[in-house]
Formats: sequence, structure tokens, C-alpha cells
Amino acid sequence: MEALVFWIAAAAMVAFTLLTIAARNPVYSACFMILSFAATAALFVLLDAYLIAAVEVLVYAGAIMVLFLFVIMLVNLRESEHEGLRLNPLMVLAAGTFLALMSRAVKDLGPAVQETPNTLVGTPGLLADTLFSRYVVPFEAVSGLLLAAILGTVVLARRKEDA
Amino acid sequence: MITVQHWLVLSGMVFTLGLCGVMMRRNVILVMMSVEIMLNAANLALVAFNKHLAPVAGTVPPDGQVLVFFTIAVAAAEVAVALVIAMLLFRRLDTVNVDDVANLRW
Repeated sequence: MEALVFWIAAAAMVAFTLLTIAARNPVYSACFMILSFAATAALFVLLDAYLIAAVEVLVYAGAIMVLFLFVIMLVNLRESEHEGLRLNPLMVLAAGTFLALMSRAVKDLGPAVQETPNTLVGTPGLLADTLFSRYVVPFEAVSGLLLAAILGTVVLARRKEDA
Repeated sequence: MITVQHWLVLSGMVFTLGLCGVMMRRNVILVMMSVEIMLNAANLALVAFNKHLAPVAGTVPPDGQVLVFFTIAVAAAEVAVALVIAMLLFRRLDTVNVDDVANLRW
């Protein structure tokens, strides 16, 4: 059962990611990317990361993709500017090298072990305990980063005459 | 049966697709979406390793999952700023094609 869900969700994730980078219309790309994030959330549930799965849907598929769609619509490309795909040898070389390195690293992991489901690892309680004890300083640093991002966005996006 | 190798191969495949997207697309918004795909693949690998290394709750803290929180927060901040830059690009130069914005290229 678990294996079946894995194969379906993994196939969906790869297929939707492929469609994202291959779609000519940026709006279609964004829609396929939302579907790919939904498949990723299903995979996170399989990995017992329930809170991460929820955050993936809320933040990635929700907030970030809405942001992308907003900007795509604001920029409003004319139909003729929808680009085709260009394959160049350098790209094939880079992708091939990465895949080769990756498969080498996976081979070095040693014999495959059966993963046992563990429903306690991804609970909000355990994650919060870790986040607010061991990682409390990085956590505060992230709040500073988000504030900086908000201020930077407002300053950048403001038109000169409003100032 | 699904092992950590399966997850890493899946993550590597998705990461490669994102890499191809960055190199293939010329629309700056699509390039940023490809970067998001790559970050997402890395998140998947982090959670898979977390499950691999902490099979029993309580023995090892869920560091991998906490790290994913930080990646998601950094990705959100990065996307917000990058999209504003894309909008400014469109406002000033009337283009979102990365080939048209090569002033800083040597």
C-alpha cells in the first residue's frame, strides 16, 4: 500500500515538474507547479512529516505560487513572447554529470534497509520542542530575515513619485 | 519496499529537472520557479534523511524536518524579493527575458 502510494506520488511529482519547465505559457507552468507541490506534500506524509506536508501546501502551493501567479499576470506577456524550449549541449552535460554523481552517492549508501513507519517523528509537538530549544537562535534569525525581506520588497516596489 | 535510496533518486531527478529549467528557460519568472523546484527537491532529500537517521522518535531530534522549515522560510523571503526585482525589470526595461538583461555580464 505504502509502495503503491509512493510510486503514484513520485510519478506525479516528476511528471508535473517536467510539465512545469516545459509548458510554453507561464500560467500553465505555475498551475503544474502547484500540482507538483501537492504530490510532494503526499510524499512528505509518507515520510511521516505531517507538519511539513501541511506547511508545504500552505506556504508553497498557497502563498508562494499565488505570488508567482500575481507577478505573471502583472507582467502579462504577449503571446508572441512565449518562448520555446532550447536544448544546448552544456545543459545536457551539466544534468548528466549531476545525475551520475547522484547515483554514485546513492550507491555508496550501502545495502537497502526497510524503513519502518513512525508516526511520532513528524508531530507538531516534537518539532516545536526541537525548534524552540536547540534551534531558537536560528529561528529568531529567520524572523529578522523575513522582516528584512518585507522591508526590501516595499522599498523596491515603491514608485518614486509616492515618496 | 521503499528505501532511502528511492527517495534520493527521486529527489535527484527532480533537482535535475529544476537545473534544466534554470538553464533552458529565458523568462526570469520561470527561472525562479525552477530554483523553487530545486529547493523543493532538497527538502525532500532532507526529510528522507531525517527518516533514515531517526527511525525511532525521541532518540534523535528531527533535525532534518526543522531544517526544512528554515529552507521554506528562506525560499519565501527570496521569492518575494526576486519577484519584485522581476517586476522592476519589466517596468523599467519592458522585458522579463534574462538574455536582454546582460549589462553585468563580462
